[in-house]
Parts: sequence; C-alpha cells; structure tokens
Amino acid sequence: MIDAALSLCRLLLGLGAVFLLGYGCFALLVPRPPEFPGPEKLAFSFGIGATLLTLWMLVLSWLGLQLGLPVILGPILVLTGVALLVKKLIRGRSREMTTREAPGPPASSPNTAPPIPYRLWDWVFLGLLALLFLGATLRATLYPMWAWDAIATWGCKAKVFYLSRGMNLTCIDAHNYYPNLLPLLLSYLYFCLGRVNDHLAQGLFPLWGALLLALLQAFLRRGGLGRTQALGVTAFLALNGTVFPVHLYIAYADLPLAYFALAAVGLLYLWFTDRAPRGSLALAACAFAGMAWCKYEGPPLAVTVLLAALLTLAWLRPPDLKARLAALGIPLLGLGAGFLPWRLFAALGHLEMGADHIRNIYPQQFLAACTYLGVALANPFYFGVLWPALILALIFCGRSLWRTPRLFLALFIGGNLLAILIAYGVAPTDAAEFPSYVRATLDRLLLHITPVAALLVGEGLKTWGEGRGIGSTEQAIIPGEK
Amino acid sequence: MRWKTWAIRLLLLLWGLQLVWLGYYFAPEVRDLAWRLASHHTGAAILQEDPFYRWVRTLAGIIPRHATYVFLDNYEAGKEIEARYHLTPRRHILLPPAVPPDFLFFTLRQEKATYLIIREGDRSWASKKAVAQSPAFHEVPVPGPGLLFRVDYGRLLGRFYD
Repeated sequence: MIDAALSLCRLLLGLGAVFLLGYGCFALLVPRPPEFPGPEKLAFSFGIGATLLTLWMLVLSWLGLQLGLPVILGPILVLTGVALLVKKLIRGRSREMTTREAPGPPASSPNTAPPIPYRLWDWVFLGLLALLFLGATLRATLYPMWAWDAIATWGCKAKVFYLSRGMNLTCIDAHNYYPNLLPLLLSYLYFCLGRVNDHLAQGLFPLWGALLLALLQAFLRRGGLGRTQALGVTAFLALNGTVFPVHLYIAYADLPLAYFALAAVGLLYLWFTDRAPRGSLALAACAFAGMAWCKYEGPPLAVTVLLAALLTLAWLRPPDLKARLAALGIPLLGLGAGFLPWRLFAALGHLEMGADHIRNIYPQQFLAACTYLGVALANPFYFGVLWPALILALIFCGRSLWRTPRLFLALFIGGNLLAILIAYGVAPTDAAEFPSYVRATLDRLLLHITPVAALLVGEGLKTWGEGRGIGSTEQAIIPGEK
Repeated sequence: MRWKTWAIRLLLLLWGLQLVWLGYYFAPEVRDLAWRLASHHTGAAILQEDPFYRWVRTLAGIIPRHATYVFLDNYEAGKEIEARYHLTPRRHILLPPAVPPDFLFFTLRQEKATYLIIREGDRSWASKKAVAQSPAFHEVPVPGPGLLFRVDYGRLLGRFYD
C-alpha cells in the first residue's frame, strides 16, 4: 500500500515537473499569461512541457549521455527558471516606467465580472465528463499495457529507452523511424517511478484527454459560446462513440496528436477571427512542433493546417494579407523545430525512414477507401453522431462558411478527409489485407481531426443560437487581440 | 428556423440514445473493473492470470539480457509482440513457423542468435525435424505452451539443410 502511494507520488511529481517546465516556456512565449484561464494554461503548459522535455532527451541521447532524472530535469528546469527570472525583471522595470509615465490600472485578469453560478445542464455535462474520466483513469492505471501498438511500438520503445538509459534502437525493430515524443515521455515517467510500471504510467492518457477537452472548451468559449453550450459540445465530443473513450486508456500516440492538432488549428482559427490572445502564434508554433515530433502522420497533418490557412487567406483576402502571410512563418518554424531534430538524429544513425510507404497509386484502394470512410463517419460505433452533427453545423453556417474564417476549419476537415483517402490510395498493402489495414487505422486517423470537427459543431451551434437571439447572456470570456 | 430547432432536438435525442448504448457497451469493462478493485486484483496481478505471460517470464529468467533469440510465430496472432515486450531488452527476431530450415539456420548464424523460441510447441512447424536432428540445438525444459532451444550458432554452417 505504501509502495503504491509512493509510486503515485513519484508519478504526480514527474507530471508536475512537465507542467512546470511547460509553464515556464508558456510564460516566456505569452506576453500576459493572466489572459489565459487556469485550465487553458495547464493544457498548453503540459503540451509544451512534454515536447520540450522529450526533445531535450533526444539531444541528450545525441550527445551520448546516459539518461537519468538529474540530467533530464536539472539543466532544463534551471534554464527555464533563469529565463523566467530575467523576464520578470525586465517586465517589472518596464511596468515601473509605464506607471511613472501614465498611471492607470495594472494589467490583470481580463475577466473581472462576477462568476456566473453553475446551472443544471452545466452540472449534467460536468457529471458525465467526471464519470468518463473516473472510469478511464481507473481503467488506464489498474490494467497493464495491452493494446497492439502500445506494446508493439510505443510502450516497447519506452521500455527499451528506460532500460538502456538512452535511445538505443539496436535491439528492436518497432517502426524505429517513428518520432519519439511518446516513448520518451513514458520512459521519463519510468525514470520518475524508478522502474517500468506501465500501468501507472498509462495515467498519462486520461490526463492528456482531459487537457484536450480543456483546450476545446477554452476555444469554444473564446469563439463566443456560453459556458453551458461549450460544456455541452465538449461532452458531445468526449461521449460520442467508442474511439475517444478507448483512447483515454490505451498507450497510443493518436490522442496526443489530436491534442496538438486541436491546439494548432484552434489557435490559428482564433487568430483569423481576431479573438486570439497575445502570443497565440508562438503557442501554435509549439503545437506544430508537437505534431511533428509526436507521430509519423504529424508533419502531413501540420502541412494540411498550413495549407488550409493559406487557402483561407487567399480566398478571404483580409486587408492585412501580407502581414498575415508572413506571420504564418511562425508556426512553420515550429513545424521545423519539431521535425528536423529527429530527422537529423535518424539520418546520422542511418535509420530507415519508411520511404517505402509510397510506391504506386492504387485506384481500386482509393475507391474502396471512399466506402470505408463513409461507413466510419456514419457508423455510431466509432464517433456516435458527431459527424452527422458536423454536417448539420455546416448547413447552419450556410454562406458564412465562405465569407468568414470558418472556411479555415472546413478546409482543414475536408482536406484531411481527402488526404486520408489519398493515403489509402497509395498504401502498399496486399489486396486481401487492405480491409483489415483500413479497419486498424481509419478510426485513429479520424480521431486526429475529430476535436476540430467538434470546434466546427460549436460554430454551428453559435450560428443557430444567434438566429434565435440566444447565447448572448454569457459573453466570450476574454477580449481578443487585433 | 423551426426546422433547425427540430433538427437539433432530433440530434440530441440520438445522442441521448447513443449515450445509453455507450453505457451498455462499456458495462462489462466497468463490471470487471469494479470486481478487480474490490478484490485488489490489479496491475501486474492481471498479467499473472495469463499462462503465456507466466511462460515468457520463465524464459526471461533463462535468456540473458544481451542475448538474441529467434521467435517462431505468426505476427497476426499478436503473441509475438507480447513476448518481445516482456523479453525486452533481449534482441528479438521474428520468423514464421513455415520458415524452411535453411533460412532458419542461416538467420540464427547470421544474427548470432543463441535461443530459439517456438510459441506453439504442440503444432507442427517446418523446421521441426531439422532442428531435432541438428547437434546445434539443445531443448531447455520449460513448462508451458511452447518450446525453448539453446542454440550453438557456431555449429551451424549456414548452408542448405533441407
């Protein structure tokens, strides 16, 4: 019992260090952290922390240093602490000067309105989410690692990295070219726990799912939905079909990738609508880095985000088009920062990069994939009624889809559905194996974009509410940045 | 406007029904979870219920950590990945049971593998006779579903044996 409690403490401290590291970086990137509510701050902090920590572990392995907690956490936490201190000193001095020149109210949390009491539906949605996460957390942490890719790839690599105290890929052949955010993060948790305790480390996944939902809720509220509506859409995403709940307790990289994709798309969408808090593009850059470093499908997914953004700008032609096009360079830099280190590491280690994935185009597979995709979107087993709800939301949005930045969300979703079909059209699989190949991968590919689909559902709901003259009792929480 | 309201109501109704179905779908998992919680039968104890896991743990006690082994099994069965996970960091090479003796012997010699594991010992496998006749293989008696051979790869010439 004492051993279990100690292990739990170690795990929580390890996760806390990731939050701390991420928050340090978050506070450096964002001019005014108080503009972000607590859950949103936590959500961003964890994603940034996980990306930074694992990239640092990659650097350590590159340098040939043996991994261990002091060498992993020590330098990077000290560096972040020093940077935060310097920032605080500089900010303090500049604030002093500003106060002397023009005394006024200090920069504080923008939400000064008294808190609105929770209503019945708020409690219902919160209760449903609490039930889901209670079950998922217990399921994740009390059962051993069991799902296919968890023990074949991600968990296996994590175990190897921990046991070899480095990124030793010589004893395994488990898609060695895959990016290693997740295996390194799991191995870091093993370092914290002092042993390979895969079931306790799986607690990472319900946490990541909760942070994803916190991010979605924050984006919906920034987009103009009231608390109840935003909570409703969040519960609608989490409790629709089996794919999302199952990914809360299996050690797959798809949930983290969905989290990074939502962060990248949501921040860019808010930036398009001029509701983005300051520092959003820098945060989006971190999300792009996370996408590239999280999964092999991450870089193409990130490219579809940028393509959708470029097409939206080209179509809408805002007055500051050139400035916006130039600003998209920031997330692009983030993509490079997440993509290049691993590619360089792999090139220097002569790791094969899976180039054999594309050999030819198979039209029959493309056509078959169209059917499979249609079935997966409509079959409630996978995502419940979320995708039909998206169609309804698109109808509700109507012409605004072409005249507002909502086009960006629609292009991202549509572009990715097309990309999935193309990917199946070029997949070098045996004709007999193709159906099982699609079955094993399609739900996960859709999971990457489903949170963004929920964001668009929220937009549809907002349009419906505006039409009925409701939804304005609770204003968007935070004033945006032009 | 009215149709939109009705469409939303219909969608919410479908979602509600779907929630009920979701509860029904996960009910067996919840029951199992509740039972395990009540009986404190969680974590590593769950693994001990699996005879294959117990067998692999025994193998882990025999095969040195820096050794290489060849695992004879079909990938689709999903047991090979389990064995690899539990035997990590030992180097793992998978070959199908249908592999002919010449290629099996060549691989063992080429990869300097010191152990050969056959998951389903009671089933026939293509190289069974050749392995039984070769002086390079010594069966290690381990109770369980499969077979374990210690391999002296230096005694394998890497030529055709069949």
